Amino acid sequence: MRTKLDTCLDSVNQVLLGKEAQVRLALTCLLARGHLLIEDLPGMGKTTLSHALARVLGLSFQRIQFTSDLLPGDILGTSVFDKDSGQFVFHPGPIFAELVLADEINRATPKSQSALLEAMEEGQVTIEGATRPLPEPFFVIATQNPVSSGGTFALPESQLDRFLMRLSLGYPAQAAERALLLGDARRDLLPRMESILDHAELARLQAQVPKVRASDALIDYVLRLVEATRSQPQFAWGLSPRASLALLAAARAWALLAERDYVIPEDVQAVLPSVVGHRLRERADPTGHGGGSLVQWLLREVPAL
Amino acid sequence: MSSLPGIPRIALTWLLVAQVLVIVPHLVHLPLWMIALWLGAAGWRVQIFRMRARYPNGWAKGGLVLLVLAGILLSRGTLVGLDAASVLLIATFTLKLLEMRTRRDALVLIFLGFFCVVTAYLFEDGILAALYSLLPVTALLTALVGLQHSGFAERPWPPLRLAGGLVLQAVPLMLLLFVFFPRMGPLWSLPLPNDKGVTGLSDSMEPADIAELSRSSALAFRASFESEVPPRGQLYWRALTLERFDGRRWSQSGYADVPVAPQWSKAGAPLDYNIIMQPSGKRWLYALDVGEMAQDSGRMMNDFRWQRLRPVDRPLLYQVRSWPEAVRQAQAEPPGIRQALQLPQQGDPRSRAWAAELKAQYPQSDALVAAVLQHFNREPYVYTLRPQPLGSDSVDDFLFNTRRGFCAHYAGAMTFVLRAAGIPARVVAGYQGGELNPSGNYIQVRQFDAHAWVEYWQPGQGWRSVDPTFQVAPERIEQGLEEALTEEDGFLDDQPFSPLRYRELAWLNQLRMSWENLNYGWQRWVLGYQGEQQLKLLQNWFGSFDWQRLALVLVGTGALLIGLLALCLLKPWQQRPDPQRQAFRKYERLLARHDVRREAGEGARSFALRAAQQLPEQAAQIETFARCFEQQRYAGGPASRDALRKALSDLRSALPWRLSR
Repeated sequence: MRTKLDTCLDSVNQVLLGKEAQVRLALTCLLARGHLLIEDLPGMGKTTLSHALARVLGLSFQRIQFTSDLLPGDILGTSVFDKDSGQFVFHPGPIFAELVLADEINRATPKSQSALLEAMEEGQVTIEGATRPLPEPFFVIATQNPVSSGGTFALPESQLDRFLMRLSLGYPAQAAERALLLGDARRDLLPRMESILDHAELARLQAQVPKVRASDALIDYVLRLVEATRSQPQFAWGLSPRASLALLAAARAWALLAERDYVIPEDVQAVLPSVVGHRLRERADPTGHGGGSLVQWLLREVPAL
Repeated sequence: MSSLPGIPRIALTWLLVAQVLVIVPHLVHLPLWMIALWLGAAGWRVQIFRMRARYPNGWAKGGLVLLVLAGILLSRGTLVGLDAASVLLIATFTLKLLEMRTRRDALVLIFLGFFCVVTAYLFEDGILAALYSLLPVTALLTALVGLQHSGFAERPWPPLRLAGGLVLQAVPLMLLLFVFFPRMGPLWSLPLPNDKGVTGLSDSMEPADIAELSRSSALAFRASFESEVPPRGQLYWRALTLERFDGRRWSQSGYADVPVAPQWSKAGAPLDYNIIMQPSGKRWLYALDVGEMAQDSGRMMNDFRWQRLRPVDRPLLYQVRSWPEAVRQAQAEPPGIRQALQLPQQGDPRSRAWAAELKAQYPQSDALVAAVLQHFNREPYVYTLRPQPLGSDSVDDFLFNTRRGFCAHYAGAMTFVLRAAGIPARVVAGYQGGELNPSGNYIQVRQFDAHAWVEYWQPGQGWRSVDPTFQVAPERIEQGLEEALTEEDGFLDDQPFSPLRYRELAWLNQLRMSWENLNYGWQRWVLGYQGEQQLKLLQNWFGSFDWQRLALVLVGTGALLIGLLALCLLKPWQQRPDPQRQAFRKYERLLARHDVRREAGEGARSFALRAAQQLPEQAAQIETFARCFEQQRYAGGPASRDALRKALSDLRSALPWRLSR
């Protein structure tokens, strides 16, 4: 079973070259039933990653390109009058897929953004008074350009908090880029990928995550980390309980991926940058992107034992 | 602005209350317009709070400051000096209300308030003032507490309760510091406020021009005797001598101002007493003739007066031993004796003629002095505090025409006559008598006890004191001023509310005496508790004692307190023993000796990896321990101290032995 996870990773790594760490984190995020935000420049492989993940996990895939004129109905679906039956018939939107790629989420207006984010939080959507469940599993990968790009609506902190992880892919290493240039077009590889897990196996794996053992000593470490963000002066605000739950869930999933049935501090440290990086701000610069250096501080200074 | 926290309603209320309480004790010396200023500023601030008014702009604030400066200049005549500065301080304290926008401003105002409370002690440091100052301190603390409350809090009492509790908790600490904290001398001396250096004595006297002597019942000093108190007829407290006479005015001469103790020899039994002197703003000290004091209290000048290097600007306690029967400068003619014969070139012909007549009649000095005293006794002289102004030949006018006057008239006239008859003489100014407080065995001398008498010199006998006022009004000397006054004078009729006027009411008098007693204790044990006295008390308690030991005790007590506090906060007895952690610490120490140190944020597994890289030969043992630790601590394996110990001892034996790196 676990070796299948490794096969998944290998398979995705063949498509997305030189990004083993990010792929692993993305899979961790999915196992922990969290949603993923990928923040990077255009053309760095964000779409390829999400598409490849959908293929190997055997999930249905939908892509929503967010634009400034996107309406909530374009995401959730609308009822259309069917003159044959004389009734309104609901046409589900692209959100009714197991893996939804919300591309360039920060280009849409806040109204459309919130339609997606509500669906992420609730696992169901309410349209015209009728509540419709979303498929299970339901996994959103949103991508966004760095906030400094023009014509964007930055996600507010409350909505950033709904993403379990934020990743940044970054430029590939030279060797990886050489292989990329010499090999086939990546998009051509995607249809050839085979699904490795089926729904039942994925559900079983996801159900195993909460059972991964987190001892008292480890919980203490998580508490120390959270307490540090709440009490140290350089943090604009501390981590929420949702964030500490997310941190523990991600660490469990990471331990599961490492074929361990217990969590050690190193697991927490491995997921810490992507889980809390987007939830922290420096006091000196509360609107900026100081999360990274704060995470480094946490990793360095908070006693691990 | 919106990000700055505003001032909650409760804090503002308490701040205004505290301001009133802080300003009230200052009212005795503040100009009256200050009240109007405060009312205006407080009203304005309240209107701002109710959003009926705006904060003043820069022009308005500048105008107010100029107005206040002009007001101080008008009412005080200057902008420097203690009086003007204290008015300025209170004005600042008041005006700051008008730019109090944020909590930070309110904090500034509160701290300024504490400072104002302290400055009030410059003007009044009695027991009532000290007790009163607890009120503004509590109110300021309440405002400080209220500042931390939400802007929606409605009830004003919880902050007061908290602040009261804080004050009460601070009391033991205050007492401890009061007893033990070393008193340091002032780094600079403050000039006295104008209304504090009241003294009935000045360094010159001009009896001819005084139509009415102002009498003050303010305290000059207290003297407590170790043995029985001498009769008041013998209590002549010398302060200074007046030797130069210009026809109207007696003043100090340069000869007296030489800090060389004159020759004198002890005789009779000494008197020991303590004096607590009120601030006088002058340098001289009071003592009975002939006094001896410790060197650091003062030094004796050429005319037997005692003087300090600096003016007495706060209550001063000193010890004196006096030899009332001492013989002064008897052996040789004192240097500067000619000053004691100095007279104006001309004037007062009748007195001079009378002196020549007396000289012819009584060639002996003693006899002549006795004759002059008898003259005052026999002729119809009147002791009054409302003498008639004297003409140009003031001594003649007094001796032969008006014959009404007080001590300065008699002492001046007698000295003049003695000098004209060739006997060296001078006027001594000081205090006479005092009121005995029977329960406290001490004497209180007030400003209206100020007195002047005469001393003359003759070869072989030295200086001798005589008091012509005694011949005119013996009751003044034996019973005090009020007995000596005639109907028309009226005792203290310029001070209708002085309790001293109602001495015939026994209960009131007793009440007054008890009150004086309390004040005396305050002066003696609280205000006077410094330097010598503190050292003595601490020596009584702890045997041999010095400041170094005190410093040690203070530091030790501080360390003990902090230690106890740390114990209470950390509660080490509540921490459960953690054998895994202990074993891991040993493991860390062991590896640290081999130069592998764990970072704070490094987990056991990554540390083991790094250590194994640095110590490849012991990699197996390091990993065994790390795995064992991880199993027990994170994987829920059975907790076994022995397994950890064994892994650790394996590692230890694998490593080369090292005590430290």
